[in-house]
Amino acid sequence: MKKPVLEAKNIRKSFGDLEVLKSVSLTARAHNVISIIGSSGSGKSTFLRCLNCLELPDEGSLAFAGEEIEFSRRRGKIVKADARQLLALRAQTAMVFQSFNLWSFMTAAENIMLAPQKVLGISRPEARERAEHLLQRVGLYDKRNSYPAQLSGGQSQRVAIARALAMNPKLMLFDEPTSALDPQLVGEVLALMRELAEEGRTMILVTHEMAFAREVSDKVIFLYQGVIEEQGTAKSLFDTPKSARCRAFLRREM
Amino acid sequence: MDFALMWESLPALLHACIMTMELTFISLFVGLILAVPLGLAAARRRGAAAFMAEIYMFVFRGTPLLVQLFLIYGGLAQFDYIRDSFLWPYLRQAFMCALIGFSLNTAAYTANIFKGAILAVPAGELEAARACGFKLWQQYCYIVWPQAFRMALPAYGNEVLIMLKSTSLASVITVMELTGTAKNLYAETYAPYEIFITAAVLYWVMSFILSLLLRFLERRFNKNYRKRKTGRRSLLP
Repeated sequence: MKKPVLEAKNIRKSFGDLEVLKSVSLTARAHNVISIIGSSGSGKSTFLRCLNCLELPDEGSLAFAGEEIEFSRRRGKIVKADARQLLALRAQTAMVFQSFNLWSFMTAAENIMLAPQKVLGISRPEARERAEHLLQRVGLYDKRNSYPAQLSGGQSQRVAIARALAMNPKLMLFDEPTSALDPQLVGEVLALMRELAEEGRTMILVTHEMAFAREVSDKVIFLYQGVIEEQGTAKSLFDTPKSARCRAFLRREM
Repeated sequence: MDFALMWESLPALLHACIMTMELTFISLFVGLILAVPLGLAAARRRGAAAFMAEIYMFVFRGTPLLVQLFLIYGGLAQFDYIRDSFLWPYLRQAFMCALIGFSLNTAAYTANIFKGAILAVPAGELEAARACGFKLWQQYCYIVWPQAFRMALPAYGNEVLIMLKSTSLASVITVMELTGTAKNLYAETYAPYEIFITAAVLYWVMSFILSLLLRFLERRFNKNYRKRKTGRRSLLP
């Protein structure tokens, strides 16, 4: 069997006295679409942010494309990731944020062009071509010279997804990509994400869109207070949840 | 009002404008260069570098510019090793002392503007840069700095205009810039209105030109803050 794209083992994380993640593990193989669900405060966003070390886990291990990330520890606690590996991990793992986080002083096209030029080292004309192609793909070519302040939430998030795609990532992380959107704008972003899933991209998403998670995911993880309470295929978890908490959560959300 | 006298005083006052401009631009330039590392250090908020930058700003923003000028102009000569150093021929010139004082002073104000602008860069935008795999220096070069610069522009424009008018203080330590020259002419003619109104108009013209320049820069760089191409932002409903 091929090596998993990403393997996280026994991730623990505390903020002060609050233990947010208590030994959470996850394996993402190529073309997997994994959804992480759970009520707010269950640690799902923190877990996702640990996967590209935006949040450094306190304990646990992380392997990307078969390569173990080397952590330096002080008194057993992780304090630093190997700098070279960290940059490589992030360059190949694209993240889409809840609040888009577009660079506000750059146009849509410039937002997409910057990282491929500076991180991957491709030329400016090549980056422009890539950006224009991606903007066409997300249906925003006519907005290429607009600034983020001139875009709607749905448009901003589609530009942010295009920015993520421009890095040709091996893995895409979505942190509640539709939670900040007006209800009527959610559809356009989900449609785009559905296309990406159908293309066979490897994706891990934190979401409150249960119907969407059920439809696109190979695997669904239900987090409860920093622990994986239940996981399984979308069908098994949504249709026949075993844990009472998961059942209660799904009843509330769906 | 004796317009003939105003006209007569004009060549000397116009000539003095050159020195006022020199004082303004050189000290703004040196101050800007000093302010970049100071602002970056202060924006870290913790650690020895941030502490020293804060102390620097605290001292220069907390004391009058005129007192600083007196200290530099009169105070440096107290130290033998300064008088014996190869720099003394420069440091004993009032013009040099004024330049040093103005540069150090505007550096403190500008650093404070930069500090605020750097801290105002949205955390999410930095996070996005980190998630893309930018190195720390790249985050600063491509995300933090371009944005901080844009946000700092309006406040920095104020500092430029204030600096232009602060150069008049140099006249107190015998520098013959616009105000100094006007004071001399006044002593010769005893015509305060004619001379000082002419000087004031010249200051106003210089401010006006500078503010046009600054407005042009703001338009050029802060396009993204304007929401629609045609719409005007207004505080009124």
